[in-house]
Amino acid sequence: MNNTKLTVSHAPFWHDGDSVFQKNLNYMLALLPAAIFGILQFGAPALGVMALSLSCAMFWELVINLVSKKPATIGDLEAAVIGLLFGMMLPAITPWWLILTGTFVAVFIGKMIFGGIGSSPFNPTLLGMAVLMMSWNMFFDFDTAYVDYDFAFTAMAPLAAVKTQGAAAADFFALGDLFLGREVGAIGAVFGLGLVLGGIYLILKGYSRWELSVSFIAGILITAFLFHAASPDAYAGPLFHLLSGYTLLGAFFLITESASSPVNRIPMLLYGFLGGFMIILMRNVGDYADGTILAILLVNVVSPLLDNIRPNALGKGMNNA
Amino acid sequence: MIKRSFFALSKPRLTYDLLEPDPDGPRAIPLPDLVTLLLTEAIDNTRPALIKKGDPMKKGQKLALYEDSTAYVVSPVAGTIKSIDTYPDDFGEIATSITIAHDPEKTSEIEPLELPEDISSAAVHLKKLPGAPPFDILADENFTIRTIVITGADTDLLTTTSQYVSTAHARDLEQGAAILKRLTGTARVCLALPEGINGHNRFNSLQVLKTSPVYPDTLPAMIMKDHLDTVLPAGKTPEDMGICFIRAEAVVSLARTYEKKALVFEKHLTLVDKAGFRHRIKAVIGTPLRHIFNQLDIQINDQDRVIIGGPMQGSATFTTHHPVTPETDTVVVQDREILPKISDTPCINCGKCIQICPASIPVNMLVRFLEVDQFEEAAEKGDLEACIECGLCGFVCTSQIALGQYIRLGKHELHKLRAEV
Repeated sequence: MNNTKLTVSHAPFWHDGDSVFQKNLNYMLALLPAAIFGILQFGAPALGVMALSLSCAMFWELVINLVSKKPATIGDLEAAVIGLLFGMMLPAITPWWLILTGTFVAVFIGKMIFGGIGSSPFNPTLLGMAVLMMSWNMFFDFDTAYVDYDFAFTAMAPLAAVKTQGAAAADFFALGDLFLGREVGAIGAVFGLGLVLGGIYLILKGYSRWELSVSFIAGILITAFLFHAASPDAYAGPLFHLLSGYTLLGAFFLITESASSPVNRIPMLLYGFLGGFMIILMRNVGDYADGTILAILLVNVVSPLLDNIRPNALGKGMNNA
Repeated sequence: MIKRSFFALSKPRLTYDLLEPDPDGPRAIPLPDLVTLLLTEAIDNTRPALIKKGDPMKKGQKLALYEDSTAYVVSPVAGTIKSIDTYPDDFGEIATSITIAHDPEKTSEIEPLELPEDISSAAVHLKKLPGAPPFDILADENFTIRTIVITGADTDLLTTTSQYVSTAHARDLEQGAAILKRLTGTARVCLALPEGINGHNRFNSLQVLKTSPVYPDTLPAMIMKDHLDTVLPAGKTPEDMGICFIRAEAVVSLARTYEKKALVFEKHLTLVDKAGFRHRIKAVIGTPLRHIFNQLDIQINDQDRVIIGGPMQGSATFTTHHPVTPETDTVVVQDREILPKISDTPCINCGKCIQICPASIPVNMLVRFLEVDQFEEAAEKGDLEACIECGLCGFVCTSQIALGQYIRLGKHELHKLRAEV
């Protein structure tokens, strides 16, 4: 017998070459246009917020890896995506301690205590954001956040304006301005065009599913249209809702988070629609100016239930004759 | 290796390799000095064995370990038994390997063969023909086989063995099918052949099922669903449903055996080398792969992988001494540089496996049960038994989980659990 030591493993012996690292790298690439626009619009503080947020998220994951004596997992960039998304959802003048706390909640409570990547029942980024919004609501008032800035456009947070002044306030904002980022808001959420391009890139690459984004947008548009049609004075129109606040970020980057969303087609369509529906409900009936964060967290809970709607497996449920 | 395309909006599509329009004949590998035969029965030292080291062998002689053994092998050469060893397979099942030293001076010593006239004596004498005809199943009275499907379409990627054998030896195939009908009394014998290759018109007496070129449409469960209007119930075999699949090469071997009134031992196979080049060869059953590699100047180094079968469903062997068996259609050699990684990253629920699974299995749920050894739950809630083992989920898995391994192991453990009850 010779001693050539062969590699032995099970089929399949081919792989398409995809990896979690690739997926997350593409996610970050897709987020870049909106993030860069945020830096151009809000200046160096925006860069600072996003850089701190991204590094904090990775730092917390590394700390938790070390404390729990597990191999370091930050190399898969999952924490980096959480951190970047988190930074993009904050105003540019967020204090450092808020970021440190928020990313800890996102990475530790949102992801690591459930067993790390893939196991989180909630979108980790949104969980961190929700805790910050509940605890330090004043830092999320985009009108006071940017008082020291001098903008060449209406420096009012669109959704807050509509909330306090009624649907007529929506007329202050041209839809084109909202889409091209000429509004105040979170660093990475204002540039609609960038988000749409990034989102379409991810969908074409197969890293996020069109079913989720499309049904989410449909949920927003249909629900907002019905409200608007019922009472045009009280409720803003569907396109205004689609282009303001976190909506587009939600449609292409938050609702599509894979661990907390369904995987079968019909459940994905229902889930996305439900997410869009809940957001408009929260904005128009609820107390929050922008319900995106809580609405998506809420539908996260429904995801496992929805995923029970699935085709029968081949030959399943037949009598065993 | 087929990689992910830049855009991947829809699910990836793997296609079978089709036989070239005017294929070259196989290259014959000369007979080695030593042949190795694998017998699917473990050695039991407490019982008196029928064979021992040093026994002389005739060509065509049947070898079994014990008086009441049903498992046997047939010596393809005349010579003497050099060694009898245990040989573990990839699930730790123990088989026996019998090495026979070939004696070129005794070539005339051939065991006479009485041609079987019914299916049960065929099971006793012809089970080890090249192509491994499933005569055990056909002779089993527990099954009522109504349809026999000859697989002229290869079931795995890269290989063209079955397509070549069925089209190049169409006349033998038809004769073999006639013999098969006579032996079994089965009225319906069909031939599955991929559409898009030449040679469909060579068959007059057989119903040809044209299979699609998209993987995994030539797997038995898919042929049953697409062409025979029979859905294979989860956990059942095609035989349970009255359908028996047989390799084209087995049918051709059967015809030749009846024509020559002597057993045949040459097996066709497709060997894919490290550069992806396909060699069509013909080797005597029992030829160690190492001998073939030497003949073709294929260098095997440490950590390379030698796959018996295709890239999606084959099994990797631990030794280059592994012989050509009646079942071996394909051998794929992978250089260690191109072996894909396997990781212990958990499932991230991306849903690519769900999208591609031909059996609509919730693979994301299934793997969560299998990771924690909950095999009954995996069968009940994760549809483990519906899996047709095509390997596509493992191919696309973003987390690079060894899904094929989990599923095969899960089925194996589930059968063990059920057998204990």
